[in-house]
Amino acid sequence: MTFTVAIDQFEGPLDLMLHLIKEQELDLFDLDISVLTDQYLTYLNHMEDLHLEVASEYLLELATLIEYKSKKILPKDQSLLEDEFEEDPKDRLVRRLLEYQQFKEVSEQLSDLYHQRAMQMSKPISIEVDEWTKPKTEDAPIDGSPYDLVKAMNKCLRRLQLSKPIETKFTAKELSMEDRSLQIKARLRDLPDTFSFETLIEDCNDMQMVIVTFLSILDLARQHTLVFTIDENETIWFKRG
Amino acid sequence: MIENLENNKEEVIEEKEVMLHEELTSEQEEKIEEAIQETNKVEEGNRAGTILEGLLFIVGEEGITLAQASEVLGISQERAEEEFSLLQAAYAEDSRGFEIANYGGTYKFLSKAIVHPYAEKLFQTTKTAGISQAALETLAIIAYKQPITRVEIEEIRGVGCDMMLRKLEARNLIRENGRSDAPGRPILYEVTDEFMDSFKLYSLDELPKLPEFNTDENSENLFD
Repeated sequence: MTFTVAIDQFEGPLDLMLHLIKEQELDLFDLDISVLTDQYLTYLNHMEDLHLEVASEYLLELATLIEYKSKKILPKDQSLLEDEFEEDPKDRLVRRLLEYQQFKEVSEQLSDLYHQRAMQMSKPISIEVDEWTKPKTEDAPIDGSPYDLVKAMNKCLRRLQLSKPIETKFTAKELSMEDRSLQIKARLRDLPDTFSFETLIEDCNDMQMVIVTFLSILDLARQHTLVFTIDENETIWFKRG
Repeated sequence: MIENLENNKEEVIEEKEVMLHEELTSEQEEKIEEAIQETNKVEEGNRAGTILEGLLFIVGEEGITLAQASEVLGISQERAEEEFSLLQAAYAEDSRGFEIANYGGTYKFLSKAIVHPYAEKLFQTTKTAGISQAALETLAIIAYKQPITRVEIEEIRGVGCDMMLRKLEARNLIRENGRSDAPGRPILYEVTDEFMDSFKLYSLDELPKLPEFNTDENSENLFD
């Protein structure tokens, strides 16, 4: 779609303004808002002519520009203006443009770093480590934020992917969370006191089932049927609640 | 001959089983103690570095922190840092194909950038991981100003960032960290260790300097 291209050229109204300032060779520290407003408006009109949608953010900034321009044209009561402690809209705009420009420039440097880093690869952790890892028997307090849980889950999924050959399966059957919870409850009898999430998903043959399992254990944890803890290797361990 | 071979094979298998058995039964604490004793024994032989190098190989992309290294080896964090620096220097040599990075506080092996084009050729891929300008700007603002709310980010960028924040959160580059005391108690965002890793940063102090504005106040300050 064309309009996304036009919008994508600029990261927002401030980006567009910076572009216009550069193009018109305006001085950012002595900004001629009238010229900027005209140029800005011309650009937006041009976009409209091309039947491109103009995002609301652009219109909002346009309103600010026009408001400032109209204030300048109208004769003003100097004494009234002096009393107002409000920041001059022009100063505010310049400050915002400068701040935005800072981040725009620095994001270019970050982009370089990102691309350098993308050229460097690492290996996954040795797969045997999982086999060595033993469940912790002592009562570990449950700490850790939901982010730790999500991170541990991601790691688990990644390991699962690594340890299984690539295969594709089409299944129409969808397991509900309730059914899965019942299955897990039934399996609890045969499982050791402490068991890992990996053990729990041994019978899963697709990603969806793993996710349903994860949701189920969240629910079971909420009902205090299960208690979970995450060790330093980000393995999720469970105990009966 | 064949019998001999068979016998040998059995012996090897038995040996392996014994090893495996030992590994499974010995307590982790014992292992740590062994490592400590070993490092103490041959302190001058620089075994700590050898062990750390091996550990780096095992942990792979998950990396190892100074705290972990010092605990496992029973050495001080300063000592561990020294050992890592020595290893890093050794791997920085041009003759090595990988190096030891320390981004976001974890040490790990990474292949050198020079290898990348050849890896692409080997695996016949041309796809390189991309990141959008919008994502970069948002990340930059968060990294320099964290903890920061969505509204504050939007004020700087001049565009809505709701979707972008969710995307970055899903990519684990940012996380929520509490709420601001401002009205409505908006969520505060900050960058994650994954962000540090993705941008080759050891700490946020290493972020590139923000370009200065050349305002009048600043030029006056120059002479202070």
